[in-house]
Amino acid sequence: MKYAVALRRCLCIAALIVLAPAVVLVALRMPVFGEKLPAYGATINAHVPSMRQATNVVAVVNFDVRALDTLGEEFIFVAATTGLAVLLRGGRGEDASGKPVHTDGRRLPARSEAIALLTRWMLPATAAYSIYVVAHGQITPGGGFQAGAILSSGLLLLFLGDGYRSWRRVMPPISMQLLEALGAVGCVGVGLVPMVAGALFFQNILPQGAHKSPFGGGLIPLMNLAVGMAITGGFANTMVEFLEETREPEEGEP
Amino acid sequence: MALLHVLPWLAAAWLMAIGIYGMVTSRNYVHLIGCLSVVQSGTYVLLLAIGFVWGAGPPIFYDHPPGTPAVDPVMQALVLTDVVVGAAVTALLLALALQLQKRRKTLDPEELEPIP
Repeated sequence: MKYAVALRRCLCIAALIVLAPAVVLVALRMPVFGEKLPAYGATINAHVPSMRQATNVVAVVNFDVRALDTLGEEFIFVAATTGLAVLLRGGRGEDASGKPVHTDGRRLPARSEAIALLTRWMLPATAAYSIYVVAHGQITPGGGFQAGAILSSGLLLLFLGDGYRSWRRVMPPISMQLLEALGAVGCVGVGLVPMVAGALFFQNILPQGAHKSPFGGGLIPLMNLAVGMAITGGFANTMVEFLEETREPEEGEP
Repeated sequence: MALLHVLPWLAAAWLMAIGIYGMVTSRNYVHLIGCLSVVQSGTYVLLLAIGFVWGAGPPIFYDHPPGTPAVDPVMQALVLTDVVVGAAVTALLLALALQLQKRRKTLDPEELEPIP
């Protein structure tokens, strides 16, 4: 037992000693804090606002200038949530998680009516806010990632107020799986749209629209929407799988 | 050099170091995953500090016209994707820990023995 702790510590110290020269070299060459922008960011800040009808430059970087990287990142996310589902389902298989009736054995803790009412009011408000965030993603702070995180945590409000079974009834996992899959496919589809017109993958050739308009920016709003769908579905699926896992197994179940 | 000029680098290095120390000495996988998140927070601080400029505003030209000094949008985009991937990977690791607890009845790395 003790031997393993010592081994772990020795490995760490050895790795640190090997890496130390590189760390020192990089640390000595760090730029002065707050002095000037890295060249890439400065170039983007100088030119992008005049090239795109979008005012949120971070969104332009994510969904236009480096859209291919975001596509890769999107699929890391999808792969992680898929891996999580595979791990947690284990012997349960695919169809078992489609039946919320299996949770009969699980005691439903009593909620006060005030909590139920409050969460039922807050869920539509949270959903509306997430739609606002994704729709204005390219002009004000926000976008698909943020909206997806807001909406999927808003869905948890339903679980908080009405319990697991109502949550599952209102939000069947298949719908969230479809949402995630459509979002992921949509990301690729958005990239393919310009190719139909003979342009390059993710080349933003769509009409730019009006300045400060939620529909401006060409491909950016579409990409925002697709990413928002994928993130909402992915996080919602993660929650379903974790909640399904923590319930007590019933008779005859693995 | 004023302390304020090195403080972000020190903060990032401190988060990294304390996270790695926690991971190396951890006796519980949930604690270890928490330490990994701390290490990741170090990367957020580092990236945002690289993109920072004194007196610059956000890289969102809605209220102020293009051309006003703004911080680096690339670093902010990197941190944004980092946060999302970090959340998904943390969930995946926690799922691994959950299965470990279920099958081996322990979360302590020291008590795990190789599967014969």
